[in-house]
Order: sequence, then C-alpha cells, then structure tokens
Amino acid sequence: MLPLVELVNVTKRFGKITALNRINLSVEDGEYLCILGPTGAGKTTLLRLIAGLLEPDEGEIYIEGRKVNKVPPEERNAAYMFQNYALFPHMNVWRNVSFGPIIKEWNQKRINDVTSEVLEMVRLGERKNAYPHELSGGMQQRVALARGIASGARILLLDEPFGALDARLRVNLRTHLKSLVKDQRLTAIHVTHDQEEALMVSDRIAILREGRIEQIGSPQEIYTNPKSIFTISFVGGANFFEGVVSRVNEFGSEIELRGGLRIHVSDRSRNVGERVVVAVRREHISLGKSRRRGFNNLLGEIEDVMFVGGSMEYMIKLENDMTLFSRILLKGSSTPLRRGEIVIISFHPRECRIFEYPRRGLLKEIEAI
Amino acid sequence: MAWKNIGINLSGIVISCTLIAFLIFVVLPSFYLISYIFLRWDEVWYEVFANPITGDENWRQIIRILLFSFKLSLSAVAFDLVFGVPLAYVLARKKFPGKNLLEDLVTLPLVIPTSGFGFATLITWTSSSGLGRLFGSTRLLSMNTAIPLINVPFILFIVHVALTFPYLVRTVETKIQSIEETYEIASRTLGASSLTTFRKVLLPLSIPGIFSGSVLAFARSLGETGATIIVSGVSTTASIAIVRWASEFKLSTAAFMGSLLVLIAWIMILPVEIYVSKNRRSSWRHLHIPTNLSMKIIKFERFLSRKLSIVKDTVPLIIVVILIIIPVVVVISSVTLYWSADPYTGRVEGGVVYQLFGPSRYLDLILRATLTSVIVASISTYIATCISIPLSFIIERRRYGHILRTMLKVPLIIPTSSLGLSVLLLWGSSGLCLVNSGIWMIILTHIVFSVPVIVESIIAAYEGSGMQMYEETARTLGANAYSAIEAVSLPLIKGGIFTGFILSFTHSLGETGATLIVMGRDTTIPVLVVNMVEALAIPAALFTSTYLIVLSLVMLVIIRILTQR
Repeated sequence: MLPLVELVNVTKRFGKITALNRINLSVEDGEYLCILGPTGAGKTTLLRLIAGLLEPDEGEIYIEGRKVNKVPPEERNAAYMFQNYALFPHMNVWRNVSFGPIIKEWNQKRINDVTSEVLEMVRLGERKNAYPHELSGGMQQRVALARGIASGARILLLDEPFGALDARLRVNLRTHLKSLVKDQRLTAIHVTHDQEEALMVSDRIAILREGRIEQIGSPQEIYTNPKSIFTISFVGGANFFEGVVSRVNEFGSEIELRGGLRIHVSDRSRNVGERVVVAVRREHISLGKSRRRGFNNLLGEIEDVMFVGGSMEYMIKLENDMTLFSRILLKGSSTPLRRGEIVIISFHPRECRIFEYPRRGLLKEIEAI
Repeated sequence: MAWKNIGINLSGIVISCTLIAFLIFVVLPSFYLISYIFLRWDEVWYEVFANPITGDENWRQIIRILLFSFKLSLSAVAFDLVFGVPLAYVLARKKFPGKNLLEDLVTLPLVIPTSGFGFATLITWTSSSGLGRLFGSTRLLSMNTAIPLINVPFILFIVHVALTFPYLVRTVETKIQSIEETYEIASRTLGASSLTTFRKVLLPLSIPGIFSGSVLAFARSLGETGATIIVSGVSTTASIAIVRWASEFKLSTAAFMGSLLVLIAWIMILPVEIYVSKNRRSSWRHLHIPTNLSMKIIKFERFLSRKLSIVKDTVPLIIVVILIIIPVVVVISSVTLYWSADPYTGRVEGGVVYQLFGPSRYLDLILRATLTSVIVASISTYIATCISIPLSFIIERRRYGHILRTMLKVPLIIPTSSLGLSVLLLWGSSGLCLVNSGIWMIILTHIVFSVPVIVESIIAAYEGSGMQMYEETARTLGANAYSAIEAVSLPLIKGGIFTGFILSFTHSLGETGATLIVMGRDTTIPVLVVNMVEALAIPAALFTSTYLIVLSLVMLVIIRILTQR
C-alpha cells in the first residue's frame, strides 16, 4: 500500500538558515505519528510544508501518491491545528465547525448533519452557540478538532495541540485525542517537544534535531534502542560516562573512566583506544550495601534525595567526583536511603549503551533539551 | 484547475490595479511638485531669486518664514514632549473613572475642523466674550502678545500645542501599551522608584514611539493651515505663505516653498523611519553616567517620586482643560450670548440670527458648504477605502510592503497646503489639465491624505488580529485564497475599516489648508469659517464653529463606539 504522506529529500531554508535538511519520511494511512524534537528543530516547518503553507526548496512531497509541491493547502485535505487553535473569533462554535463544509459548498442538509454529528462526537453539541472566548481551553481544543474533522480532512496536522493546556488536562485529553483519531480512521501528524506525550499517544515517533530526522520508530524502539546520545538523553534521559576503551574480549568491552575507574559493557563493537560515551538509564542503576555478581559495582556517596511520586531519585557522587542519578521504584517496605550514606552502585553491562564520543563534545550534544 | 488559474491572474490584476491607483492618486502629486521646480527652474529662478523689481526679496522672505515656522513647531513639540509623555503614560497604564472621556478630549483636536477650533481659541483668549470676562478685563491677550525668549505669538503657540498634542500623546500611548508591564513591575520590585523605572526601563523602550510621535507632531505643526490662518495675525507660517502665494498666482514661489517643505518632511521622516524599524525591540545604548552621580540621581528620583506623583497626574489634565475644553465651552457660550443681538452694543445686526437669516443669508452659505463638504468627504473616503483595503493587504503580505508604507507616511506629514498645491499643479490647467479647480479637485486632494489614514487604521486592526494564522487555518480547512479573505480576513478587520472610514471622513470634513488652494468657487465648511472671519462676520463664524464642533463630537462618539468592540 502506498503511504498517505511521503516526503522525499525535502529541504527548506530560510535565508541562510537550513530549517530542514533532506528529510525522508513516510506516513501510513491511519497512522498516528509524533514528530518529537527540541525547540527550533524544524518541527513546525515540517508540518507547514505538509499542510502546503510553505513550499519546499528541494525535494518532493506526496499525498495519496500525488506530488503536491505546488498544490495549495485547500486541495490537500490536511487540516492544520495551531497551538492556540485559531478558532475564528467572530464565529460561534457552530459556524466554526461548519466552516469547511460551507466553504466546500456541500448541500445544506449535509452541512447540518456533519456539523452536528462532529459536535456530538467531541461532546460539545450543547455549546454550539457559544463564541470561542466563552469556552475553556480544553473545549476550544475540541472545537478545533471538530472543525478539522468536519472539513473532511483525512490528515490532521497538530502543532503542539496540548501546549496551551494545563498539565492535568493535558494528560486526560491525550487518550481522548488518540481514540478520536483512531475511531475516525484519520491520519495524525503531531508535533511536540514533550517526550512523555509522544511516547504515550503515537504509533511511531520521529526524532527531529537541527533539521534532520535522528531516528524513527515505535515508542518502545526509540526508548529501548536509541541510536544516538541525543535520542537517549531527549527521550527518557540517562547518565553519561566519558571514557576510553581499554580492552575488548569475548564477553564485552572494558571502558576506563576518569580517575582509573573501569566499567564493563556487553557491546563489543568499539576498538581499543577509542574515545566513547557510555549511557545508562537512571532506572537501571540500583543501590545497595553489597556488590552484585556480574554487575558493574561502583562506590558512591548520596548527595541529594528527591521524591518524585512513585519513585525516589538519588543524586550520587562517585569516587572520581562524577555525579550520577538513580531512580528506584518505591516498594511498600523499603526505607529510602539518606543523604551522606555510602552505597554500592550496580548496573548490568547489558544495560549500558556505548556511543562514539561526539565531535562537538558531550555537553553540546545533550544541552538545550 | 481552471479556477486556480483565474485566481492567480486575478491576484495579479488586483495587485497591479491597486498599485497603479496608489501611485497615481497618492504618490504622484508630491513627486510632481518637486519635479515642477526642475521643469520650470527658469520661472522659479526669475520669481524667487532674480526678480527685476524686488530682486531676491522672495527668497529672503521664504527663509524668514521657514525659520519662524520652525521655531513655532519646535517649541510646540518641546511643550508636547514635556507634558504629553507623562499623560501618555497615565493613559496607557492607569485605570481611572473618566479615562475614556479624557482620551476623547485629547483626541478631539484630531477630529475637530481646525479652523473652527482656531476660531474658538482666538475668541477665548482675545475677545471680550472669552476668558477675559472672568478676569474683569475685556480681553486677556492681544493677538500679537508674544511669549518672551522665543518671540512666538502666544495664541499661535497654544493653538499649535493643542493641535499637535494628540499626535504625540496617542503615538506614545500606543507604544507604551505595547510594552509589557512586567518590565516595570520587575524594576519596581528590584527596588527602583517609579521615576527611576520610567527613566531606565520605560523611556528607553518607548523611544521609537516618542520619536515618531514627535515627528508627526512637528509635521502637523509645520503644515497646519486652518487654525493658523485665523489666529496668525501679522505673523506668517510656511503653509499660510503657500496659500497666500497660490491665491496671488505666484505659483512658482509657492511651488518652491512647497517642495522645500516636502523635502524637509522627507529628510525628517526617513532617518526616524529607519531608526524605528531597526529598533523595534530595544533602543538606545545607555549613556555612561558615573556611578556616584547616578546614585544621586536615583536618590533624587526616589524623593521626587513620592512628592510628584500627584503633579504628574494632574498637570497634563489641567493643560487639556485649558487648551481644549475651555475654547469649546467659550465658543458655545458665545453663540448663546450673541444669539439675538450683539451683547455690548445691542445692535441686532451683530446677532447670530440676523446674520444667518438677514440680508447676507449666511445660512444658505452654510447649508451649501455642508452639502459640498459631505459630498467631498463621502466620495473621497469611498474611493480611498477602495484603494486602501487591497493596499493594506499588499503592505502586510508583500516583501516590498514596508516601502509602500513609508511612502504612505509622506502625505501624512507634508503640509496640507503643499499637498493642495501639488494636486493643483498636477491635475490642473498648468499640468495634465484634466480637472479644474472645484469640487472634483478637492476630492482628488482629499483622497491623497485619506488613503494613509485608512490604511494605518486597517493595518492596526490587521496586525493585532493574528490574521496569518486564521487564514492559514481556513486554507487547510478547504478555503481558497479568495474565500479565506472573504470569510475570515475581512470580517476580522471590519472594525479597522470602519474606524479608518470615519477618521478619514472626519479628516476630510475638517481639512482647510489644501482645500483653500484647490477649491475654486466651491466652499467647504471649514473654509467658510475662514471666510467669515476674514469678512469679520463674527457671530456667523461663531455659529459655524459651534456647528462644526458639534459635528465632530458626534463623529468622535461614533469612533468610540466602533473601536470599543
């Protein structure tokens, strides 16, 4: 089956700045795709290109197999939803939602049917005479969704759809949005900088960074098998150890860290003497009083203890003055460790991911997230 | 596909038609005025510099008049700055009962036909029915009482202050409103007094607004004709000189003076435009002040902030009352005083009723002039609106838009009498010979300054509306470029269009300087006031001024209602 939306080598520049650099992306019919990236990565530009609000400088965009580089937005059947929804302030809910049907000159009965049906779908039939400013943020978002669906769009382009809502509402509406999209068999391309949101709603995630797609895959794939330091630190976060490969044998590699500390990693793909970065997720680091067999065991002092809901987060200082974080799920009986306690930090070589040392330095790679 | 192609062609046609209309009606006249000087340099040289009888007397006169005009305008703007900036701050930041009323009062001189307002000020200060009555003398001032040091007639000065005040106050007020209050709050919570906050935070941020407000005010004062012609007495300003020379058919001298004024306007506006457009966000670099001096200043400001807050709030208010309210009240009370007869001599011939209905039949003249004014204002505003709506869209969307916008500033700041002269020269018998002096030429003239007024008002509505976002949404929902404009953009800027329409209508009703030059035998109401004053028909002039003021108050109410939504 042909992909519904396909981008081939798409490049977009604004003056000297290259906002998007040779992007290749295809979105299947009915898929929910998240484009995840930090501010300024080019997410919105990508969305606007698909909507037809911008034209690519190079490359081709296809919708339903048809090249649409020069096709105006109104002929693409892709409804764009702005972060603040852009509900027309001079029209009430009914007129906003029926905007697409009216502009497409459907017959009166169909206009009425579609509008009321869609309004019921988002549970706003009661408020059809209200004006946008009279509605809450969540309701406005639902009107905007209804408006997009009513216009007959097959593709929803969502630009930070939860950005203007408060944290709790955001979480509630995520599931609602996803089920709406799935029920209506729509295709959604959802732009966000919130990794938790992306992991939760999407079928696939595309990590965008400085105008390039860094990695694309299902949420599990992105989380468990990140391809770069950037991805691992942007999605989920991790502890990073800088070091040099000192030995490689059939069990794995040994990395020498600052201060002579050594850790073992299952990955054997690096050469001896290579400068590398080892990443370990916080939840893979356990703390205890005794060394664990087959694990990396380091000695550290607890510097700070943070309570984050269902788990505790510890900030630990190692012997070589490095700081690392560990997240331990709270269980009924366990008593949290206290600041100043000396603990043994253990993590399995299999949980360590090893990356080439970035040319611009480690900090540069993980900052500004 | 067929529709799309038509759409593309249509947009080309609309854009080029709009641009052509804009260039012909709005831009061409002022360029023609300057080219006129070069085309007929022989005549200009002969008349201005080398007249066989008077020699270069005309040239020396031009210099003298220009210097006087500059002195007058500069002092008026200086006064505006000292009292206008605090008032703008109060209007932008404070909420108090009667704020709308105060805003309307400040705006009144923008709306009021200046000849009527000039006459009101004149009788307030110099006649026996004015302020003099309160103080027991027959008149407070003579027409030529000058302000010491700068040697500018007092009455001329206050008229110019009153008429330029709103330009400065409203511009600065808008600028301050656009600056987030959080900066001030931050500064205050960090320990700065209100005056220090103003000097170190608000003032640097609002400098672009203060600059453009001052330029507007200065240009207004330089070009003011209607009120000036009534209160000037023996002094002559540049714009009056143009009117006088044009009526004496010394067209070359008038054109020379006119183009000098146009050039000055350009020279003034360009650097400010460039400065303002480059400094949208921040502003000047701080002057370096030694720390101990700066400590002293801050201490002094803390002291003053406590003592002076009432002064700051009340002094501008008092000025508004003196400059604007009192003349309006006096002129209305004088009409009642003079209604049936001259109150001092008791002669019926000196009463309003006699002059209106008596042998001189001023009522007929007033009615005819009203008809002329309304026709002129309606037609010119209508045509200007038709040009302005597409023009505003072009300005907002095209890359060359800001050039058009700068060009539009010119008619706003060049003296209206030069504008009238340029239209006369371009379209009249000495130029293209298409239109004769009279109502159609008045309409052509009024279009020139109506377009910028309407465009500014539409753009103000456009820029605050998030238009691009709404249009793009409409496009992705299936609307093509034209139905998006029809269904979304136009309704969103409707208020701006109406406001611009009314402003321009009012402007056209009150215009004097340009009209005097191009009117031929047709007369508009503000010109009629000038004629009445020159004919010493004071009661009739009183009545007409009151009539004009009442008209403009009605307009003001309409504007207020429109802009409130």
